[in-house]
Amino acid sequence: MTAIRLAFRLGRWGLVGFAGLGFFAATLQAVGFFQVAGHTAAERAAFGQSMTQLGTQFSILLPPPVRPDTVGGYVQFRAFGSLVFLFAIWALVSASGAARGDEERGLVEVMLASGLSRIRMLAARIAAFACACLLVALATSLGMEIGAVGGGEPVPLQAALEASIVLAALGLSCYALTLLVAQFTSARNAVAIAGSLLLALFLVNSLSRTFDWLQTWRWLSPFRYYELSRPLAPGGNFDAGAALVLLAASIVCASLAALAFERRDLGSPLLRLPARTQPVTYDASASPVWRIPVVRGVYDQRIGIIVWAAGVATLAAVFVVLTKTLVQPLLAIPVLRHYFDTFVHGDVYASFLGFLWFNVAQLLMAGFAIAQVARWSSEDTDGRLELILSNPIARMNVVLERAGVLTVGALFVVAVSGVAVGVEARVQSIDVDSTHLLGAVLLLVPFTLVFAAVGAVIAARIPRATVGLLGGFAFASYLIIELGPLFKWPAWALDLSAFKLYGEPLTNGIDETGLVIMSFIVIVGFAASIVFMQRRDVGA
Amino acid sequence: MAVAAIRTSKLSKDYGLGHGLFDLDLEVSPQEVFGYLGPNGAGKSTTIRGLMGMIQPTSGSAQIFGLDCQRDSVAVKRKVGYLPGDMPQFGSLRGKDVVAYLGGLRGGADPQVVHGIAERFDLDLGRRFREYSSGNKRKLGIVLAFMHKPELLILDEPTSGLDPLNQQEFYRLLREARDGGATVFLSSHVLSEVEHVCDRVGIIRSGRLVKVAELEELHGIRVHRVEIEFAAESSVPEAAVRSAAGVDEVAVVNHRLSCTVKGSFEPLHKALEGTIVTNLVSHEPSLEEIFLTFYREDVTTELATS
Repeated sequence: MTAIRLAFRLGRWGLVGFAGLGFFAATLQAVGFFQVAGHTAAERAAFGQSMTQLGTQFSILLPPPVRPDTVGGYVQFRAFGSLVFLFAIWALVSASGAARGDEERGLVEVMLASGLSRIRMLAARIAAFACACLLVALATSLGMEIGAVGGGEPVPLQAALEASIVLAALGLSCYALTLLVAQFTSARNAVAIAGSLLLALFLVNSLSRTFDWLQTWRWLSPFRYYELSRPLAPGGNFDAGAALVLLAASIVCASLAALAFERRDLGSPLLRLPARTQPVTYDASASPVWRIPVVRGVYDQRIGIIVWAAGVATLAAVFVVLTKTLVQPLLAIPVLRHYFDTFVHGDVYASFLGFLWFNVAQLLMAGFAIAQVARWSSEDTDGRLELILSNPIARMNVVLERAGVLTVGALFVVAVSGVAVGVEARVQSIDVDSTHLLGAVLLLVPFTLVFAAVGAVIAARIPRATVGLLGGFAFASYLIIELGPLFKWPAWALDLSAFKLYGEPLTNGIDETGLVIMSFIVIVGFAASIVFMQRRDVGA
Repeated sequence: MAVAAIRTSKLSKDYGLGHGLFDLDLEVSPQEVFGYLGPNGAGKSTTIRGLMGMIQPTSGSAQIFGLDCQRDSVAVKRKVGYLPGDMPQFGSLRGKDVVAYLGGLRGGADPQVVHGIAERFDLDLGRRFREYSSGNKRKLGIVLAFMHKPELLILDEPTSGLDPLNQQEFYRLLREARDGGATVFLSSHVLSEVEHVCDRVGIIRSGRLVKVAELEELHGIRVHRVEIEFAAESSVPEAAVRSAAGVDEVAVVNHRLSCTVKGSFEPLHKALEGTIVTNLVSHEPSLEEIFLTFYREDVTTELATS
């Protein structure tokens, strides 16, 4: 019981944060439904039809909606569909932290030394996460129910409970899978490898909606079993068998993880390659890269930057292919063809590509910025910054060098992805204006720097809370563009979102006002960060 | 007159609730090895971070070779080699990369010094940082502190994690650095460590400097533990001994009396007049006992004040 209480304590902020996010997101979507869906049967039917069309465009990410003309169907599509990402990320971070992160910090050693067996310790962590996951899922359903009741169309409680169960089961299966993977990797690679596996499983399922050849593999994906239940929509279903498959998969993965944990050395993966013998050296590296500002930071992070670039470029190429696959059948419909010819300026494929890919690219680059800022924050808390500042280097230079490293890294990532988009577009015969493509790609750099500048300010003031606060900023920024149009917020409110500032450069060219505002935020943010950094205590 | 290597004037850092550093006046001369002693949480690291310009003092000032530690922090750090209390994480970087990286930030390190120290401590710089034991991480910290032949070494508990052989090697390295003209400011809670290498010692407790003294001076403060054995036919003058000035912790078991004597032995000698002493043993005070005496005095003073 003590072990479970400790596990809860270790994950309390995740529980509180994700419960808040789930509750907030579901409430807003339910309330938003009544704002936009209309009140008459005809209005609802028209709204449902438009949502179904929207769902078709997003079918690469989310399953098509069922009865989006009802609050249950709408929230199932808009909230419970996208919360899958949230739960998977939470499970990934929590499980890799429980399996290897706490081990790195010496916490596991202390717990085992207290007489707790490995199996019991792992079981306590799993049990705590399962309870936390169910609580967060219930909070999400509660948020939806409050919004639905407020609109006078409550969703049956049984349906809300079933939605919570299946969401929690998905989170638990992602957690158990990450626990298992983490037993076979080095501690520092656990998140990357388990995250790649979860992403691959997600894509296998989501892309199987577009590519038939993937359908034979989608049984492997836990996301497939999640989607088989859609209890919130009237006439929707709760697939108890699929939920049981998720729970069974969780038990199997957790059991295998426990077996592996029993057999491996603390601090080491279960399987490891024999270390290469190399001669002892007493000399410092003679490489000149360590002497050049910015270059040394980029060199230090070279593998991470290359992995980001490869990942983003691969996704970019996939999205170009998807654009072709999705738009082609739409153009075959004469009514839609006429609609596109009237309202879409320029090439239809390019417009869709701008909408589909560059929205995702913005999210990815915001993630890149958060990852970099998290690094600054950990440099501060683990004492690396103190050692850096013990050298004759001004604090201002530390901030500027960090910004320089991030700029070069972001430029490299977006450049590689831009080449991937350009080459794949040519292969797919999509006519993309090369100037607009260059603008859209390069504009991702100041966009990334906006998040970095905000992060730099937070990191200079409260380094321990940086990642959470910056993540909250990104989430709020994204919510503004998602919900602003629904609630008919004024233009100035929408302009507060960094995502809005990016605009639609692939179709409309660079929005100069947005660029000026982004540049202003970047300059002010980093300048403020320098001022705060000069005045703060380091290592205290 | 040579400028002091370190000079602080009423240096304070108040973290609230009585934590921090208060009114520190300290002067360390060039080529001196100064030991800074205190238990955990006494304010040693706070002092060091103040000297390194890592924290802003609440009041007062600190100078290193006449340069202000806040205003001229970059110039100060050109002259200083620093070993923090805990080595930070460098993950998968190899030791040689860590040295090159921090050497690069400094504008260069002496390759021969790096090679020499790494070889003396048998530190393989080809291994990844995360593979290093805590002792090897400490050795890497020592390489980083000494690699540019600094004029002043500021070392925060430098031997923690080092085995006895490597500790001896480190003391030799310190003496060589001092002989080469360097000043050393070394914090520790291990008293035997400062006995090995320091010229002067400062004792800090609860953020306040209790005492600064030459090592010899500390030894000269007589806090001797005395054991006296009386003849069977002799009385034990317990009351007279208890009332003697400077005598404390008196205990009597049969014909044996033990006590501590601070300062002169004369009052005790007078208290023993008219008795037959068959054996008397006086133990030289260790630095530990001196250290504890200072603390006890301070506590007694506080209690009396309150």
